[in-house]
This record gives sequence, C-alpha cells and structure tokens, in this order.
Amino acid sequence: MAQIPVTVLTGYLGAGKTTLLNRILSEPHGKKYAVIVNEYGEEGIDGALVVGADEEVFEMNNGCICCTVRGDLIRVISGLMKRAGSFDGILVETTGLADPGPVAQTFFADEDIAAKAKIDSIVAVVDAKHLPLRLKDSKEAEEQIAFADIILLNKTDLVGADELADIERAIRKINSFAKIVRTVKCAAPLDEILGRGSFDINEILKHEPDFLKPETEHSHDHHHHEHGDHCSHDCGHDHHHHGHKHDHEHGHEHGHHHRNEIHDSEISSLSLVGDQPLDMAKFESWMSDLRANKGQDLLRYKGILNIAGQDRRVAIQGVHMMMDGGNLTPWQAGEARRSRLVFIGRHLDEQALRDGFARCAA
Amino acid sequence: MTNAIHRRWTFDTPVLSLAVNRNGDWVAAAMADGSARLFDAQDAAAEPKALHLHDGISLCLRPDADVHAFLSSGDDSKTVIIDPVPGTATVIADRKNAWIDHVAGAVDGKHRAFSAGKKLTVLDDAGQEKFTTTLPSSAGGLVFSPNGKRLAVSHYNGVSLYWMNAKDATPAKLEWKGSHLDVIWTPDGKALLTSLQENALHGWQLSDNKEMRMQGYAAKVRSMAFSARGKYLVTSGAEQIICWPFSGGGPWGKPPLTLGGTDNRLVTQVAPHPKDDMIAAGYNDGMVVLAPLDGRMEIMIAPPVSAANAPVTGLVWNRDGDALYAATESGTVMLFTIESVRKAVVQS
Repeated sequence: MAQIPVTVLTGYLGAGKTTLLNRILSEPHGKKYAVIVNEYGEEGIDGALVVGADEEVFEMNNGCICCTVRGDLIRVISGLMKRAGSFDGILVETTGLADPGPVAQTFFADEDIAAKAKIDSIVAVVDAKHLPLRLKDSKEAEEQIAFADIILLNKTDLVGADELADIERAIRKINSFAKIVRTVKCAAPLDEILGRGSFDINEILKHEPDFLKPETEHSHDHHHHEHGDHCSHDCGHDHHHHGHKHDHEHGHEHGHHHRNEIHDSEISSLSLVGDQPLDMAKFESWMSDLRANKGQDLLRYKGILNIAGQDRRVAIQGVHMMMDGGNLTPWQAGEARRSRLVFIGRHLDEQALRDGFARCAA
Repeated sequence: MTNAIHRRWTFDTPVLSLAVNRNGDWVAAAMADGSARLFDAQDAAAEPKALHLHDGISLCLRPDADVHAFLSSGDDSKTVIIDPVPGTATVIADRKNAWIDHVAGAVDGKHRAFSAGKKLTVLDDAGQEKFTTTLPSSAGGLVFSPNGKRLAVSHYNGVSLYWMNAKDATPAKLEWKGSHLDVIWTPDGKALLTSLQENALHGWQLSDNKEMRMQGYAAKVRSMAFSARGKYLVTSGAEQIICWPFSGGGPWGKPPLTLGGTDNRLVTQVAPHPKDDMIAAGYNDGMVVLAPLDGRMEIMIAPPVSAANAPVTGLVWNRDGDALYAATESGTVMLFTIESVRKAVVQS
C-alpha cells in the first residue's frame, strides 16, 4: 500500500502558516487532505477533515535522549489511517514553538506510522519582516529553518531588496540546502511545496540533479531533498556514548563560521565532497560513532556516496540518531563519481567532520 | 483440509474491530465507513443487522456495562451505546470536536468511562457525569477492574487508578517510563499490565508494586487476553502466540509458552477460548489458527491471503465457545463453528 504523504508546516506565530494551509486547501487540485492542527477552531478551514492534537512529546524508552517522538501524532495518524482512502495527504500544522525534530522522528520511530505514512517535506514559513527579531529571541525559529526542506520566505513585500538579501543570507547560514521560495501572502505554486518527496530516496536526484556537482556550480537556491522510507533501528543500539562528549564541544565553535550580521547562529550547514571512493565499513563506523556522540546536535543530514566496489550510488539520510539508507541508480559511464555529504547541525565541528570524512576513503 | 469456515460475509469496507457483549450472545463489528454490523452469536443462520454508528469511524468498540449492549467511541466526538436487540445506537455523550479515543464499561453495570486525549470522563449508572479529570497525558487505554470498582487508565509514564466509590478523582499512580498503550487486569484483579510503544509489556502487582517486564516482541502488542481460568496472558505482536504463565506464582523468571509456527507472519489478534485450554489467533496475512495450550499442533482454520489488506482485525468467541468470529481489514467476517472446524479436521 502506498504511504500517505505528510507535509509538516512549521513557522513562528504570525508567519503565515494558516494562510498557507488555507491556500493549499482552497486551490482546485482535486485532492482531499486531512489537517492536524494544534489549536482547533482558531480559524476556519473549509472542506477538510480537521483534527486537533495537543503537542505531546515523549522520549522513546530506549535510553536515547534524542529519540523523542510526538505521541499525539502517533495517536491521530493511527486513527486517520483507519479511514485510509478517504484522503490523499496529511498536513500537520505545528505550533510556533514546536521543535520539528520529534515530528520528523515520529515517522521513523513508530513502525505502524512508518508503514502507512511518510513525510513529504518539512516546510518552514518565515516572516521576512520579523525573522531577524525571531532569530535573536528564540531558538525555535532557528530550529525550524534548520529542519526545513522548503522555506517559504513570506511577506517579502514588507522589506526592501537589501534587507531581503540579508535575510536570505541569514537563512543560508543555518540551512544552505533548503529550497527558498519567496512569497507574498504565501502565494507559492503548490507544486513547489507539495509532492516533493523530500524524504524519498528515489527522488533525491530527480529534484536535485546538481547534488553531486561541485559547490561553485550550485545555484543559490538549489533544493535540499532527503530520502529514505523506513525506520532505522540503529537508534536503540548506538547511543551508548551519547551525551558524554556533548558538553566539551561548547564554546569553541563559532570561530569556524563567519559572523552574520542578523544572527550569530549556533546552527550551521556543512557540505563535504570527496572524489575518492569511500570504504563502506569505514563510513558506517564513522557515521555510527558520530550519531552516537553527536546525534542530538545533528539535526538533519544526507548524502550520496561513491562506495568502492559498488556500481550504484548509495544514499543516506537522517534526523538526529535515526539514519536510513539505500541504493540509488547506477553511476553512468563517463560520469564523475563523487560523494557528497551534507550536515545541518548545532555546533558542527567542521574540521573534525572533514577529517572524519577524509578517513573514510577506501 | 476442507473449509473450516462455516460462513463468510464480505463487505465493501474494512472491518476495524470486533467485540462480543458480556452475555456472549451478540458480536458487533465496527466498519471503516462508520457503520456497524451486529451478528446473532446464538444463530449461525441469521444475517447481520446493519446500523449507522459514527459520522467518521469507531476508535474503540467494547462490551458495555449492560450485559446486552456494546459501547463505541468515535472520531465524531460521540460515545454510543449499541443495543443489539432492537439494533439501535444511542449517543450518551458528545464532546464537540474531540476524538473519543477509548471507552469502557464496568462489569458491575454501574459505570462507564471514556477519554478524549487527556480528558477522562466517568459516567454513573444513570448516565450522569460522575467526574471529568485531566490526565497527565493522553490516555493509551482504559479498563475497569474485574469487579468494576476500579478504573485503570494508561498514559505516558504509567497508569492512573481511580476508585469508583471515592469522593474525589485523585488517582493512585503506577509509574514506568514510556508510552503505555493498552491496559489489562489479571482476572483476580491483583495485577495489571500494559503494552508499551517499545514492543514490550510492563506489569505491576498491586499488593507490593512488584513489577513485570516482558520483552522481545517484533511489534506493538495490540491484542492481549487471559486464557480460561487466568492461566496465561495470551498476546499478539510476535510471529508466535506468546503466552505468559500466570498460575503458580506468576510470570517472574519463567519463559513464555509459544504456540504456532514461525513463518514470517505476525499475530495481530488473540482470543482465548472462554472455557477450554485453546487459543484462537489471527495473523497479519489473514490466517486464523486454533492452538491448544498443551502444545499439540495448531489447526489452521482460515488460510493466509496474499492481499496486503488481509490482517485479522478482530477475533471473538461467543459465550459458550462454540462459535468464533474473525474479521479482516479486507472487509470479511468469518464464522467458525465447532461443527465446521471438527468436520474440516476429520476430513483432512
């Protein structure tokens, strides 16, 4: 059975989530959506099955402190699945203060949910006018940008061109890989937002043909798409050292990053590219250690890998400690085989990540 | 083997769950289109009655406090009593805009309870609200004790226990970290167990809070029941039927009895025979077996189905244990009788 696509809408209060939601629901796409909202009845949403759910985050009882999931989503989506066939997709509207991590992890960690639903994209709606302030006074705004596949930069009519450019730079500091869509009143074409398959392993190269091109060739707003469709059980096994090294990493990170005039972010993006084929065992061992030791700070990551002795591209993606991977299409004759791994995380130790990645060469 | 199925009904909508009333003479099926079917469990020749149940779906279908009736709670905010003899559904509570996740009726006929997320409501025997309280987190399940005097509600990090005759609604707490789903009392009311999000069970003996942990399941345990005379706690969630021994000092330090094959399928429903040492089990591929607790070979009474929507979603015996009803996600209800099974076994 096909998994039902779930679009997660994040964004600060007033950024325009409800506007986007109403826009999605009112356009003549012929699709029926179930909508999970946090505050039921705050504003009318016509013609959709609307379900209220109070955010309930809980820790999976596997000793891993970053394995947090949303119990309310498990409950509501399980219920919605019983009436499967009566709608084409699920939209989850989160609160302005919601952490997207547990939302994303719910779709990895709960087997019943993972079997029947998968995240299509995490969409962050950002208010261009107020983002600088939000980034200064809340960590949530930053996290929402970090987790996003698509960033709807809304209310662009309220700021000047220079200001807008600064804001985009601030967003890029946090998340270099998301697709940024500039809008007024969330008026973006829906195919830029829905049906992107951002977590679909088979879609990664379709939406992101340039993923393996060298950095300089990337267009400024190139897409960021992830893939993978089943739960990784690694989370329960690899967490033994978790948390021990975390504290040591504080305090000496900012030097790696250029200071940004809008926001001096704890969260940043890093892209690692290598032309040497990788040794699968070394790579797996490195990633396993990284997830165990830094999983809480790794918000999202993904990669397409050139593994020694393999004719197919290997893809991985993850959220915190939960990683998922698989084989993609074969490398083409004459194509430059290359690996690229991108991280979005808190206190990323760029040098350590570069060194670790370099040591995975076969 | 010839067909052990006495009758089969096919509906054009999935069957979500089955329940048998306390009298054991009617079986109700909750359908994915919001309707219900009522089967006369004393008359194998009768056709089921159809009735409208919810403007949405039933999230929980249970025997009612009244021995004749059923309770259903839905995503249409309603809690409903189903009376099978006239074939009616009567709304007893409506919580606007809320999903009523769970419902339960007390054996002594005096109380009913339902929950919507964190809101727990208990009704008295006149249908009046006895109390509504806010749980620490959304209820995973609720069930009255075997004598009807206590209500157990599972939620995150444990279980809350409410005395029905208490003046206030202050619960006793049983704590264990994690998300607790279904909850079940031992037939003597001395212990209770929950199924956990992490494919395990946890239990508490009430006299001394001595705890039980049962692990090793492949999936969440979404069906559990005690076998006749409370000998075993029979559970779904694994390739085999997992039966934890509860006679002779309890389950501590004892391995479970495992019944049935290990053929890459999962048990989704269990139904111990009400009188005999026999377990009926349904699997995620539609197979139904009867497995004797003495370890004799199980008997397949419905074969596996190749379709993906085959999981057995409901499995109940009638009062005397001479009729077994099985329902599937693909919309079938099967009736097995002692005669149809015996005939099939003899002929094979």
